[in-house]
Formats: sequence, structure tokens, C-alpha cells
Amino acid sequence: MTLLSLIGLVECKERQVDSIKKAIREALELIDYSFPEAENIVIKPNMCYYWDYSTGQTTDPIFVAALIELLREETSSNVKISMVESDASAMKCKYAFRYLGYERLARKYGVELINLSEAESEPTKVKVGNESFKFMIPKVIKDADLRVNLPKMKYMSFTKISCALKNIFGCNPYPKKFKYHSRLNEAIVALNKVMPFKLCVLDGIMASGSGTVKLGLVMASLDPVAMDTAAAEIMGVNPKSVGHIMLAEKEGLGETSFKVRGADLDYFKRGYPRKSITEKALLLGYRLACALGLDKRLI
Amino acid sequence: MTRKINLGLIGLGLIGKVHLKNCLGLKTVNVQAVTDVSKKALKFAREMGVKQVFTDYNELLRQPTIDAVIISLPTYLHAPCAISAAENGKHVFLEKPLARNPKEGKEIVSAARRYGVKLMVGYPLRFFSEFEEAKEIMESGVLGDIQTAHAVNIGAGPFFHRAESMIPRPVPEWWLNKELTGGGVLLDLGSHMINLARWFFGEVKSVKAYLGHRFDLDLEDHAVCTLVFESGTVAIVNVGWFSQKATVGIELYGTVGHVQKYYRSPSRAITAIQLILGRTPRFFKPYLKEVSYFINCINEDGRPLLSGGDALKDLEIIAQVYKNQVRLE
Repeated sequence: MTLLSLIGLVECKERQVDSIKKAIREALELIDYSFPEAENIVIKPNMCYYWDYSTGQTTDPIFVAALIELLREETSSNVKISMVESDASAMKCKYAFRYLGYERLARKYGVELINLSEAESEPTKVKVGNESFKFMIPKVIKDADLRVNLPKMKYMSFTKISCALKNIFGCNPYPKKFKYHSRLNEAIVALNKVMPFKLCVLDGIMASGSGTVKLGLVMASLDPVAMDTAAAEIMGVNPKSVGHIMLAEKEGLGETSFKVRGADLDYFKRGYPRKSITEKALLLGYRLACALGLDKRLI
Repeated sequence: MTRKINLGLIGLGLIGKVHLKNCLGLKTVNVQAVTDVSKKALKFAREMGVKQVFTDYNELLRQPTIDAVIISLPTYLHAPCAISAAENGKHVFLEKPLARNPKEGKEIVSAARRYGVKLMVGYPLRFFSEFEEAKEIMESGVLGDIQTAHAVNIGAGPFFHRAESMIPRPVPEWWLNKELTGGGVLLDLGSHMINLARWFFGEVKSVKAYLGHRFDLDLEDHAVCTLVFESGTVAIVNVGWFSQKATVGIELYGTVGHVQKYYRSPSRAITAIQLILGRTPRFFKPYLKEVSYFINCINEDGRPLLSGGDALKDLEIIAQVYKNQVRLE
């Protein structure tokens, strides 16, 4: 059996550092994870616009706090930890770090908070399928000896779902990310190729779908493709219909087949607020309107 | 006799575009020109059929044939633009709040008086059927004396764009700058609710408030105010920028009966579909009514009820709160 396809599921409904830390530890044990010796750790939470953890759309700073404590316990109390995010078309880190509670977290735990759009980086080229990309790779990510991906699971109009693979799209320092929307699946996979974050720990305590619920899910995996496949199943989306998942598997970033350990995947499937047929139809209508250029009539 | 008013629209943000769409359908109005710093917004206006577009509002104000302007600019531009409009002899419809502070507000009011132009401030809640009905019920006497009331306006504030467009859009940076806005949610949404409460209960005798900062902004993102009116009514004004769900309403508790009226906002999908089909969404209608009222005031030489002086009173109450605030951490 290979470690790459293991998924660890733990239920945690208490939003407290100690409870979450215990849940993350359990989830990592379920996937047989051993902490490496590390001096330089990078954490990539998911910040999306300015809505805080309570909406289920952004990684909870308390979840990050729990991970920071765990990392210090399991590696070294002096380990250098950086939390990273980049500016996006509609979100600026200078505001998001503050509004979402990351500035407070960084002060409290003595960790660095880095806006990748302003950080030192170097160019690299990468090819996915027939698409070639040139990205700037932030030095802080390149030099890290442990990279931890802390995604959220949520629906997304352009890629159907957003989870571990899509979260790494936010490591691209270039702020005008809509530039990639015409070949988004390829760009997501390309960024995961040049900046692999093997360790993925999903903050599914608050979950955003059709509305928000306290799902109480902590999921761990060393395979972002497996994690995204499991997340898609929880969300009621056929993983085979998610372009970036299938492409990532093809490019060797992981496997869509996985083995679950710990809690029952079906339990979280039942709890996740899935989109209704009406919502799916409206989204389809919206996509159609965009394709016909009718969205210009919106204000 | 009613004549067509030549109108200029200054600022084509969200509300500016609502006004543009509404005004283009008004028979009493000719939309002569628009101005905005965004080329995309001007393209939108051209596609809607507007012939004259400018990037500098001063150019629009110099057009001799324009009778009146609708100003939907960031708050820090209200005073310079409204004063310049008055100096150029244009009647002014100015989006709320009147200004960043009472000092600027007074300058706008006196400029309008000095140059003999009409000044109306855009408080659309007075034109919402729910609130018109609540006021009618109150005035009919069936509720008795209104002892206490609750006025609520909770929403997403500057983070609003996402709800209407289905994809996130950048928040204009002026919204997050205390110097440029003059205040947070109390000035933005609180001015709506204080004005509405004053319409219902008359003048305010005293005010106390708590201002909260959930998101660690320089500006308050939620506020709860207690207003004591000269009439004896005590009203709680509860406003916030912290929620993805919008709620706007008023509750009246009288000695004989109670009434609660809430604006039922249509879903974003329905609004989007209506816009795509070229229909007028429900959300636009109160804005249409208030602009029609303003145009009638010009044509009939009437004094707008929502005058600059009226809006100045709201600003003075808010300034008092900012001076004596209790900040919640």
C-alpha cells in the first residue's frame, strides 16, 4: 500500500486550538505521517476575498494556530514558520491579513506573514499538456523544507470545486489572476508542479457550499489529488468532471484513487450543504450568459 | 407645464449605474451627459445610449444646457463636487451621506442656498413600499403611541459587489480609508436608519452608541445606537457591514399594537436574470421613485423633503456619536 493515496478523516466540532490540534494530530497519524526535520516551514492558508472563517470560505486562523503549535511541538520550538498568500484580482493581502485575523495570529505566535506579490521571487518555466507557462516562484516557498497546504473545500464557478490543488493557485505572485482564467485548469496544475505542497490538511470545520454549516471535518493527506477527489465526493461533484483534478493525475501529481482511514466519508457527505438542482441550473444559466456576453448588462 | 430636465450623472459606481438605468427610462428626463474616471463605466454608459461622456466632472458642470446633476461619488468628493455644481447653477441630487462631517455638510447646504439651486439627498428607504406602509400604519393611530422601535440595516457594506455580480470584485480602496469616508458603517448605513427613524418619530433629543470592530478595520463595522426622540420614542439603530446576508427593516412597538416591516431583497440570481433580460429589478424601484420625486420638485419649484438641511441633522447626530463613542474591542 502506498502512503500517497491515504486520506485521514477526523471529526472536530469545537473551534478551540487544543481540540483542533488534537484532531490534526489524529488525522496525520491516520495517514502514517512522520514530521521531518525542518528549519523553514511555509504554510499556505486559503484566503479568498475578505470573508472570515465563519463563512466557511477562508481558513480559520485558529486552525492555523493549532497547526503552528503542533509543528513546533513536533519539529523544534525555534522553527521558522511563514504564512503566505498573494494579492488577487479582488483581494489585497494588506487588507485580508488584517481583516481575516492573520496579523493578530502572526503577532501572537511570532510567525512571518508574507505577501508573495511583494516577496523576492525568480522566474521558472513549466509545461502542462500543450500549455506553457512562465511563473515567478517566491524564494520563501522554494527554500522551504516543509510546505503545508491548508485549503478549504468550496464550490467555484470556473473550476467546479476549490480545494488543495486550487489553493496553490494563490502562490502565484502575479496579482491579476483573471489572466489565467481561459486556461485555469492547466495553470493550477502547472503551479502545483513547480511548487508542490505535499502535506495537505483541510480545514472543514466550517464548510461553505449552498450556505454554510459547521461540518466539523479535518482531513489530511500527502496527496493533493486524492484530497481533492475526496472533497469532490463529499460535495456531490463527480471528480472526473473536474478538469484540474484529472489533469493533475495525468501529470503525476497524485492519484484519484484513495483509501479512507478514520471517520466515515459518507458522514461528511450527508452533512455538507450541497447545491440544489435549481442552484446548479442558475449557475449553468449564468455561465451561458457569460459565454454569450450578456453578463455585460450586469452592474 | 412639465418640461424635460437635462440631467448629468456624476459617478457610475453601483448606485450611479442604477440611477443611469432608471433615468434613461424616465420621460421627464433627458440624460445629457455622464462622467466617471473609469473608461469601462463610460463605455457602459455609451452602450446605454448616452452621447456625452467625460472623465472630469468639471467639464460636465460647465455644460450650460444641463439643469441638474445626480452625484454618486465617494464621500470625500461630495463637498467639492456639490458646491461646484451649485456654483454652476445646477440642481443637485446628492447620494447619502451628505458629506464626511457637519462642517462639509454646512458648506454644501449654504452653497445650494447661495446659488438658489435645489438640493436633495438620496435616502431611498423613504421610498420603499414597506416603510411607506409602516409609516401609514403608525400615523393611522392603530398602534397607539410608539414607545420603542428597532431599525436594522445589516449587510456586507463595502464588500457588497460580490453578491450582485456572482464573482468577487475589488473593493474600491477609498471605502477602507477613514480620511476619505469620514466614518464607517454608522455613516454609511446608520445615516439611512437615523434619517428613516427621524421621518417616523421626529427630532432626536439624545443619542448613545457602541461601535464595534470585528474585522479590525480603522472604521467601525457594526454599531448599535440608542436614539431618544423629543416625541418620547426610544429607537435602537442596529447597523453592520459584517454579514453576507442583507436585512433592512423597522419594528414599531406601540401602546396598542406592533408592526414589523422588512425589505425582502430578491435573490442575486433573480436580479441578474432581470438585468440580463433588460427588465427593472425590484431593487431599482425605490431609486426610481426618489429621482422622479426630485425631478418633480424641479418642475414644480417645490422644496425637497429630503433637503440638505434634513441630511445635515443626521450628520450632526453621527458626529455626536463619533465624539462620545464607546468602542467595543
